[in-house]
Amino acid sequence: MGKVSYMKLKGSQNLRLRLLLATLSSKSIVIEDIRSEATWPGLRPHEVSFLRLLEKICDDCVVEINETGTKLKYKPGIIMGGRHLVHDCGVSRSIGYFLEPLIVLGMFGKKPLTIRLKGITNDSKDPSIDTFRSTTLPILKQFGVPAEGLDLKIESRGVAPKGGGEVLLSVPMVPNSLKAIKWVDEGLVKRIRGVSFSTRVSVQFENTMIHAARGILNPLLSDVHIFTDHKAGAQAGMSPGYGISLVAETTSGCVISADTTVSYARGEDDADLEDDRKDLIPAEEVGEQIASALLGEIKQGGVVDSTHQGLLFLLCALCPKDVSEVRVGKLSPYGIEALRHIRDFLDVKFVMKPDASTGTVTMMCLGSGFQNLSRKVS
Amino acid sequence: WKEFLSERTRERQNVNLMQLVYGETESKSTTKAGLQQRGTENDDSDTEFFVPKGEGTKKPEEPVNDDNIDAEDCSKFVNFASQSDWKSQESIESIRSRFVSKGWSKAARGGGSRDVD
Repeated sequence: MGKVSYMKLKGSQNLRLRLLLATLSSKSIVIEDIRSEATWPGLRPHEVSFLRLLEKICDDCVVEINETGTKLKYKPGIIMGGRHLVHDCGVSRSIGYFLEPLIVLGMFGKKPLTIRLKGITNDSKDPSIDTFRSTTLPILKQFGVPAEGLDLKIESRGVAPKGGGEVLLSVPMVPNSLKAIKWVDEGLVKRIRGVSFSTRVSVQFENTMIHAARGILNPLLSDVHIFTDHKAGAQAGMSPGYGISLVAETTSGCVISADTTVSYARGEDDADLEDDRKDLIPAEEVGEQIASALLGEIKQGGVVDSTHQGLLFLLCALCPKDVSEVRVGKLSPYGIEALRHIRDFLDVKFVMKPDASTGTVTMMCLGSGFQNLSRKVS
Repeated sequence: WKEFLSERTRERQNVNLMQLVYGETESKSTTKAGLQQRGTENDDSDTEFFVPKGEGTKKPEEPVNDDNIDAEDCSKFVNFASQSDWKSQESIESIRSRFVSKGWSKAARGGGSRDVD
């Protein structure tokens, strides 16, 4: 084997984004100083788990980690996809953490991807499973991802700390490339939908959350429907918890989401604090909070919410050599990081035009001409 | 000439935003978020006794440069929720233009009579 030139990076930040872009652009990377000065140095369980997942769906990729886990070498392989795969995501981060990069990888595989993911379905840190179903998948469809075969099924729910949830993800492969889009009209909010859930607690929590959320949303819009999804028995995972995911649909087909989950904290493995069990936030407050968060997102403007900015930019950059134009609200920190990494890996730079009157930013870019290379090899 | 000026300011803003994102310097919002994360981290741990390198208490004014390379990998950005009180009439009115039911919901509530209270 010839010498491989590695792109040098530092720190644990944006690990998923880096690995994802490295895989897509077939660039080898080496990351040093991964929490080298933290009390617990090195990679976290969820990061290692994500690397294992990459190994599962890719052929010929090489992952090398040094003894302390502070240095990582990654040589990407070919994305294979495949059916009937199973991956245990562990309980240090929720399934949403894995899904975000996985759906993009899945689209550019050799074969369609069907994978069963086990772990935490809902938590407050990552987008919940419900948000993926209601918001993330429709965003993909905007870019010409075939609707058939794009699905996320919730088999059972699980919240922190013990998890026990299970979802079935299927991602079709993109035949050749995505479709460049002009997506600048966010439209007006015409309806709000949502799902609340509860595991191993009374359904009353859900009713309280919904009532509180409606209290905030109904003065603005009467078309608000929030469904309940009370789980019991084997489908409820192993820990008690409740949560809610709201999504606002606009007249121009944009979906803007907000979600959260309340459950007991997991035994933090990266912090040296003792297991102080904080009281859970009451359901009424959760409902109000999340309705407020949704209104905050709506107020920002833009065709996606702040959580999905990174994904949106990435998809734009992965388009064929064609101009894409999208409008977003104030750039989120993750969105900015995504922009920087897209520049580094794919050599795509966005032109940004802030609009002072609405506080939004119009982003334009020329796609990188990315094609489904894995498929071509065959 | 006013138009010309405002045009030029807009141009400059435009360049600034791109510089913020792509330039060498960390953009404002990233730094802010980094600090926020740092803040919450500190709240949890007993930093008064143990000040691990790179996790120490930082004043918000102090610019965080390259030492937040281990920032948490998280796409969710929960910052809007606490920004305004969505129960107050003012904030409701400020967002009403983003909803379709602008006209008829007022009518349904009796010609906006309840807006007064």
